[in-house]
Amino acid sequence: MKSQSLAVALGVLGVVFIVIAVLYAVGVLQLFASTTSGPHYKHAVLFAVLAVASLVAANFARPKTAA
Amino acid sequence: MGLLQGASELFPISSLGHAVLVPSLLHWSFKQSDPSFVPFLVLLHLGTATALLILYRDQWVAIIRGFFTAAVRGQMRTDSERLAMLLLVGTIPAAVLGVFLESRIKELFASPYVAAGFLVVNGLLMLGFEMVRRRQEKGASRVEQESHFTDAERISFRAAALVGACQALAFLPGISRSGVTIGGGLLAGLRHQEAARFSFLLATPVILGAGVLEIPQLFTSRVPVAEYLVSAVLSGIAAFASARFLLRYFRSGRLDPYGWYCIGAGLVSLALLHFGL
Repeated sequence: MKSQSLAVALGVLGVVFIVIAVLYAVGVLQLFASTTSGPHYKHAVLFAVLAVASLVAANFARPKTAA
Repeated sequence: MGLLQGASELFPISSLGHAVLVPSLLHWSFKQSDPSFVPFLVLLHLGTATALLILYRDQWVAIIRGFFTAAVRGQMRTDSERLAMLLLVGTIPAAVLGVFLESRIKELFASPYVAAGFLVVNGLLMLGFEMVRRRQEKGASRVEQESHFTDAERISFRAAALVGACQALAFLPGISRSGVTIGGGLLAGLRHQEAARFSFLLATPVILGAGVLEIPQLFTSRVPVAEYLVSAVLSGIAAFASARFLLRYFRSGRLDPYGWYCIGAGLVSLALLHFGL
């Protein structure tokens, strides 16, 4: 399924995941964490992986121009 | 413990269930509620992941190269590129559920009764997977039956996500990661040997990632690091031998023997725990 709008949406989602990953890594975000203070590296790594997956999916969804 | 974990990790019999049950049944002085218990298990898992990396080193090089090539190009052209993307899709459900359910799952770790109970459930799942599979098979010989099914690179992305979601069940002590992912692979239409290969490939990043993240916790706990490292090496050696055996076994073998073993071991463990033997 290729569409420019889907690619943009996935790209935006990827950026949002990157921001969430950074917030978990620096300890600002504590949502769904087992402790309420300090950095949460597992959550940060998870959102970094989700960001990579979203950005890859965005590139797959982008309509390709014929060479 | 290292040999036990390494041998049981890749067999569809739940290494975690055995790691919780065996010390309890043999009255080893190992405290499951100890803060170093989970990091210790993760270190053993790291030994297993290293063994899998060594076993599939050529495939991993192709998968990693394929991932970057396909990601940049935005298209999959080779089997390695497709397998890399399938593994990414399959890894996400287990990673999400693992991170968000981790603390609740840890609470279950301390109970050998829970592990024994889930071991029985694991056995029933193995038998169930094979029962469904038998209905789909055609032909008399095992070679003929397996020839109607496909390779890991050929399954759909939805199937890969489902197999990955199955992997999350293995956070419960007593449920085997390889068992549920091999079973999920069978339901997705993979040959037994290919289901085992996909299961082992899928397990590697999750085990490795969890291991790397838990290592700092191991060093902050007061634990004999050298002994634990020896255990991790033994775990790796046992896992390597187990993987080689299983890949050969699943050319024609099924999950049934492991299913019956899990049911038997779970019931015997429950009886022993109940009567305090």
